[in-house]
Amino acid sequence: MSTAPKDFVGSHKQKDWPKHLIICAFIIIELFPLYMMFQVSFKDNASFLRNPWAPTPPFSVVETRQAADGTETVKTRVADWSEAFSSAKPSDPSVKTAEKSFDLSVYKVKNWNFGLKLIGPYIANTVFVAVTGTFFTLTLAIFGAYFFARYKMPFSNVLWSAFLVLMLMPGVANIVPLFSLLKELSLLNTLWALVIVGVAGGQVFNIFVLRNFIEDLPKDLFEAAEMDGASHIDQIRNVVIPMSGSIIGTLSILCFLGQWNDFLLSLIILRDKELFTLGVGLIYLDGEYVKQWGQMMAAYFIASIPLIVIFLFCMRLFVRGLSAGAVKG
Amino acid sequence: MAFPISRQKALREWKLYFLIVPSLLLVVTFSYFPAASAIYHSFFDWAGGETKQLIGLDNFKRAFGDQVLWGSFKTVSILIVFNLFKMIPSIIMAVLIHRVKSDRWQYLYRVMLVVPMIVPSLVTLFIWKFFFDPNMGVLNNILDFTGIKTLLVSLDQVFGWGLFFENAPIGWLSQPDLILPSLFIWGFPWIGAVGVLIYLAGLQSIGQEIYEAAELDGVGPFKKFIYIELPLILTQVRLSLVLLVIGTLQGYGLQLLLLGESGGAGGRGMVPGLWMYNKAFVAGEFGYACAVGMILFVFILLLTFLNNKYVRVDK
Repeated sequence: MSTAPKDFVGSHKQKDWPKHLIICAFIIIELFPLYMMFQVSFKDNASFLRNPWAPTPPFSVVETRQAADGTETVKTRVADWSEAFSSAKPSDPSVKTAEKSFDLSVYKVKNWNFGLKLIGPYIANTVFVAVTGTFFTLTLAIFGAYFFARYKMPFSNVLWSAFLVLMLMPGVANIVPLFSLLKELSLLNTLWALVIVGVAGGQVFNIFVLRNFIEDLPKDLFEAAEMDGASHIDQIRNVVIPMSGSIIGTLSILCFLGQWNDFLLSLIILRDKELFTLGVGLIYLDGEYVKQWGQMMAAYFIASIPLIVIFLFCMRLFVRGLSAGAVKG
Repeated sequence: MAFPISRQKALREWKLYFLIVPSLLLVVTFSYFPAASAIYHSFFDWAGGETKQLIGLDNFKRAFGDQVLWGSFKTVSILIVFNLFKMIPSIIMAVLIHRVKSDRWQYLYRVMLVVPMIVPSLVTLFIWKFFFDPNMGVLNNILDFTGIKTLLVSLDQVFGWGLFFENAPIGWLSQPDLILPSLFIWGFPWIGAVGVLIYLAGLQSIGQEIYEAAELDGVGPFKKFIYIELPLILTQVRLSLVLLVIGTLQGYGLQLLLLGESGGAGGRGMVPGLWMYNKAFVAGEFGYACAVGMILFVFILLLTFLNNKYVRVDK
């Protein structure tokens, strides 16, 4: 971000608050799905229908209903917000008494347990695929980029154009032959297939970005390392990686996000339930006949937790790196 | 640029080639080979197994007469037009954030923008599916609550759309004629975090002098946008435009999950990628699917070529 005074960016006469207002409106709508996901995850379908928008107040209402033959039925429901600060009102005329009591069990923590049990194994699989995929993608891409950036070797131009052509090639036309190739390699229904295809697919873009970056590193560093008898691997480890930490971090995040969000390939090649990644797992969950929205939303929220953790640790990379990296690439 | 080196030195450094071999091997196996195989198999009647029969251009002939395929190209062009509109909020958002005076607020807003990215894209998709749900969905609830539903119903009576009725919930994803509008509404307010960050990066490279000059000339905020900000982020806008068009053209995950393998009611949401997926993995006609993929590939190549020629992105 520029440190220059920004007095002129917005005009002197212009007030700042209308901008804040519009931005905040946008951001509130943008965050609305997140809010809904969180608050619905604590409800069952009945309390969701009663009050879809706001979190449930921590009160439950016990209603006694007396039928014509004298039998009493007792029903418990969650309170409305209008009842939270006054006494409970019967939900319909046939209800005789309604009593309100403070009750934290209106929050269905069970939804979360259910979601965790359901989604947990899928998350583990996805973490495996995304972490190994990102690791190998970046490792190989650094090697490849070093090869292109360090010296102009014979044939390196030919190889470089071969790589660049690939950037034009749409992945969509490949998926059918890729499927039969994986079948022949007996990689169908394995997590390694996802890792390998992900690593192969990530090479071009990452090598492209890293090559530009490594070429901009000061040549003296490499020469000094070479004088000290450092091998190429040593040079990568001691010069390239420390000097290009931020770009590697940004690329890792992009790569991780890509692997995390990919579901088409896993939908096609995974068959066993134990191997499902988050994508396929969620798709099958969505197909279930009876829907408890609370459980679904809890599962969705749990599916976001690993990214929330990463986000907390590398917020700076997310926010600054994404923009810088994107423009450079 | 990389050092040019002498032949002797290159020979001495032959070990360097080992560094590129793994990437090369992977790329050849999992990108070049499938691509070549796709071209090859588009001339075959092939169900994915060992047996295949060379049928020449029959797959392509069939594709040219395939009503669904051409319909899907029409749908995808409409989606591309939609997506062009959907770029506008991101640009406005970037400009607004850029014009906010305090650095701290700017950073805060950027963080808030990135927050939705922590939700896996699939989950976002399912939440939207939930929003579209006719009975419990948020969208219908909002329309009922604000009374827009009544407006829509009376408009329907005037124009005779036959889509909105007084007593029935709106079936966003089940009414053929509502599928395209649903795909338009999808993702409201259409702010892409990565897009906004890219535009912001472009905006931030605008020099203060330009603003100062504009200020002295008494240029208003709207004119500033038209004459200063928009032209200077045009590179970024074009970049995301190209990515967006190509992404829309080959994407089909959204349609597959929101509407199902057959493109929803009446096949109104069918896009070329989905048709290819459908032919390969539902109908088992791999050869024909390869041919559809080839046609799609030609379209993308054409667009890429036009882009390189006319909408060159300056580096």
